[in-house]
Amino acid sequence: MAANAKLTKTNDLGFFEIRLESIGGLGANLAGKMLAEAGVIRLGFNGSNFSAYGSEKKGSPVKSYVRFANPETSIRDSSPIEEPHVVAVFHEALFRTQNCSSGLKEDGVLIVNTKRTPDEIREQTGLQSGTIVCVDALGISVDEKTRINTAMLGTLCRIVDFLDPDAIRSMISDTFIKKYPALVESNIRTFDRGFEEVNVKTYELTDGQHVAPFVRPEPALGYLTQPMGGTVVNPGNSILKDLSASRQGFLPSFERDVCIHCAACDQVCPDYCFVWQPQTDAKGRQFQFLQGIDYQYCKGCLKCVEACPTDALKSLREDDGYADGHKVAQIFHLV
Amino acid sequence: MALQEHEVTGKHNETDLYAQEVDFRSGNEMAAKAAAQINYHIMGYFPITPSTEIAEYLDEMKAAGEHDIVLIPADGEHGSAGICYGAATAGGRVFNATSSQGFLYMIEQLPVQSGTRFPMVLNLVTRSVSGPLDIRGDHSDLYYGLNIGWPILMAKDPQAVYDMNMIALRLAEHHDVRLPVIVAQDGFFTSHQKRRVNFFSDRKAVESFVGETPKGYTDSLDMEHPKTIGPYMNDPDYINNKLQQSEAMYRAEEVYLQLAKEYAEISGREYGLLDLYQMEDAEVAVFLLNSASETAKDVVDKLRKQGIKAGVVAPLMIRPFPKKALQEALQNVKVLLVGERADSYGGHGANMTHEVKSALQESKAATKVLSRIYGVGGKDFYADDAEHFFSLCLDVVAGKEVKAFDYFGQTEGKAEMLPQPVIKPLSKEETTGFVSVEQDEATGKLKVKVPPLRALTAKAKRIAPGHGACPGCGIFPGVETFMKGIEGDVVVLYQTGCAMVTTTGYPYSAHKVMYIHNLFQNGAATLSGALEMFLERKRRGEIAIGDDITFIMVTGDGGMDIGMGSAIGTALRNHKMIILEYDNEGYMNTGSQLSYSTPLGHMTSTSNIGKSQHGKLFHHKDTAQIMAATNIPYVFTSTEAFPQDLIKKAAKAQWYAKHDGMAYGKILIACPLNWKSPDHLGHEIVQAAVDSCFYPLYEVEHGVTTITYNPEDKNKRVAVGDWLKMMGKTKHLLKAENADLLKEFEHEVDRRWMRLKARHENEYL
Repeated sequence: MAANAKLTKTNDLGFFEIRLESIGGLGANLAGKMLAEAGVIRLGFNGSNFSAYGSEKKGSPVKSYVRFANPETSIRDSSPIEEPHVVAVFHEALFRTQNCSSGLKEDGVLIVNTKRTPDEIREQTGLQSGTIVCVDALGISVDEKTRINTAMLGTLCRIVDFLDPDAIRSMISDTFIKKYPALVESNIRTFDRGFEEVNVKTYELTDGQHVAPFVRPEPALGYLTQPMGGTVVNPGNSILKDLSASRQGFLPSFERDVCIHCAACDQVCPDYCFVWQPQTDAKGRQFQFLQGIDYQYCKGCLKCVEACPTDALKSLREDDGYADGHKVAQIFHLV
Repeated sequence: MALQEHEVTGKHNETDLYAQEVDFRSGNEMAAKAAAQINYHIMGYFPITPSTEIAEYLDEMKAAGEHDIVLIPADGEHGSAGICYGAATAGGRVFNATSSQGFLYMIEQLPVQSGTRFPMVLNLVTRSVSGPLDIRGDHSDLYYGLNIGWPILMAKDPQAVYDMNMIALRLAEHHDVRLPVIVAQDGFFTSHQKRRVNFFSDRKAVESFVGETPKGYTDSLDMEHPKTIGPYMNDPDYINNKLQQSEAMYRAEEVYLQLAKEYAEISGREYGLLDLYQMEDAEVAVFLLNSASETAKDVVDKLRKQGIKAGVVAPLMIRPFPKKALQEALQNVKVLLVGERADSYGGHGANMTHEVKSALQESKAATKVLSRIYGVGGKDFYADDAEHFFSLCLDVVAGKEVKAFDYFGQTEGKAEMLPQPVIKPLSKEETTGFVSVEQDEATGKLKVKVPPLRALTAKAKRIAPGHGACPGCGIFPGVETFMKGIEGDVVVLYQTGCAMVTTTGYPYSAHKVMYIHNLFQNGAATLSGALEMFLERKRRGEIAIGDDITFIMVTGDGGMDIGMGSAIGTALRNHKMIILEYDNEGYMNTGSQLSYSTPLGHMTSTSNIGKSQHGKLFHHKDTAQIMAATNIPYVFTSTEAFPQDLIKKAAKAQWYAKHDGMAYGKILIACPLNWKSPDHLGHEIVQAAVDSCFYPLYEVEHGVTTITYNPEDKNKRVAVGDWLKMMGKTKHLLKAENADLLKEFEHEVDRRWMRLKARHENEYL
């Protein structure tokens, strides 16, 4: 055990805390586990690691927590990390629906998997001070045919100065060598590129600015307002939710001109995204016509593309703004 | 994880039998590790969050040949408790793990086992109790266990889970005890949190501590000494059995202390009856169970720096209740706050509060006791929460008025945030007039008219977008395609499962129609109750004659395992309702454990692949045939990949449910996540399942079987392997080393298909 393991920065309880923000399926939990294991088993720190899930489904937001302490410090706290030193966002679409940088310390580090710049991220998140680190983990992993979590581990290791990159490298080798020996080299490369290819910018608080103290979020309904028995009295309210952050880079594009309105897409869609309206055809008969896709609910499974007998639906790499620009809103009978 | 470090503990040196390793593991991993090292004979189990992982880890280790425990997947927790009880009578070592409703479902069996005095170890990974359904950690299940006659050890962190499991087995088997024992750890907070831990490197260390299974007790396999286990015993004898049991329970305290001492000698880790932190001179203290007590210790450190004499008491055993130790620990405490992660509604404080108060009353202590219900439903317990508890104690010391009993951590809510209606209820017109069913007077056969899918897009969906299912989930196209065949008003009941969890995450609901949830042991019975109330209120004129409602229960294949009894009972009573089963071949909501519908050789998290195991060990259940055997008027199978077939059968099911009695239908649906298949291919995979004749499409009307799509006639039959190769969970079956397994599976598929064809040919089969 490395007896000289020593944290460079800690909170009141002696912890250095990291929070990973992701959606199920991107490997953030595994990344958190590998990071913590490397710290505890290879570098001799004390540590803990756990996750918070929504309904444990792929595409739903997940958080993974890593707590490090010096070897002699005991870790008793089991509560989630609210005011981390480092936040790593694996999926930038989450910024639309989650306050990913919540509680980040004044000199904290926000790592984002993005092609954008720290300034652009700062503008979107409103982060006042601290360091923003941008890394195109998705681009790296597409190049290397690996997963983004290894690239994110590389960046985390670059930022968290007490983590020895060699320890993580050997950990990655050991993890892959058992089941997928062919993937060791590409994953090490992915890790190294995540370590190297970072765009870092630090922001200081200007005079008069201060970081607002962390406030723990509260549920929308309380014991005075929650309907008796836990009954949901306004069912169908799920239409208010935005599920676009569940997509992992692809969505179906719709070209109406070649659509034959067969409804095969509508029948296979798990998320009820297809919008139909009655219209009269050239002969004056009334039929249902497909108007478009409500991307607010589309999780990008692309079953519709598979089902489409024509070229009306195609798989498209999602660019920023495409979904908003091409969304056809579902028609609901609103109250 | 490769292990590199050896830690020398206790009085032993490095070459010692008792050498330990450092690792980084969760509470569930440590429970599984302990069980594997003990090498129990039998584990009977049923998956439930958050204890499921224990069986999963054990299955993984079993596949890798790391232990010999026979893992028996039960039909429900009641069944798992039965398996464990039977196995315990038969003279070997028995293990189980459960949580929440699972514990409540098995609880009927648990006093049987303690009353007849058969040891075993049950890991209770504590979780909130329904309803509404909550999967997070609290102690409301644990408190139901206080009166079942099982000693209960409390494991506050992953290390203690391992250690307590060692001590628990010895305690259970001890001559002076002979009782089944519970080891309780906090769901998620401990079960799913990895920590730095130690365990014995060599299983022999564990073997030397637990020893051989003690002999000389009742053993149902001891043919030379036949005995009657569990007689019919009324008064005046029963009370004497109970006194024996009561005395054994009290003896468990002393035996535990001896064993803990013995264990400390080999492990270097000491456990007493109470975990006391800064209690020597504490004036204010909190009494908390398990993980929260650890959080409070950090706060004590902080308060001590401010000169406040604060302390923490955490019992490591709550049955028997450590009365004497507690009296001693609290004798100089001015104010104690008992925090409880469960309520005993109406009791002016939950169970621990009253047991602590009762102990203090006997010792005539002047300690004032406050009681707070906190953290129920898994609400996190932060350091500032613990600090608040201490501040309440200090208020009492300062002479302020403080409520003796209260809830802590609740939210009042703001009037302006009251839930507002969002969408209008579906009108009859939106769901009526699309599909029609007529009975041919001459033949009695039903004729169904189904318009093209395009026209059916005008029919309102019963489920709204915005649910949280995984991308490519087959449930929603499956259920909605079925619903296209259903006209008019419906009341739906969803049993616990993916469809329920993803559509009703509070405060949201994706159901546009009337919806009820009940736990999956009992959905069919519950809906039959609602249906009969509808019919009776209609008969009494309390509901307009014209009103008609179709009652539909929606369940997964898991719900048809644990809820099979309820479904069969409901079918035998022939209620006028529909059961729709979506079958994705596993318990996907809890993380892909095998269901009885999982086919042979398929990989799940409890039917792993390794050198000693190659996926599921037995064939898939034929639920449609089981339901057909109840002689209900209509049974069908269908799937999303054949929409016209499915819609037509849905319409028939509704007709039968209105005119004759119960209808049951099964739809095979894709689970890309756990089938390990691409999100976009669900439709094609279930089509291949049909074309391979693994999943034939047919219906049984009043006992007469009709195959509604025969891939052989259409020249579309594909080899079973062509379907299996589409999924990651079955790819291994196509490897040469599994040729025999594949052959056995193909043979079973063919046998069932040939039998079905025979039934199709002959109306009396």
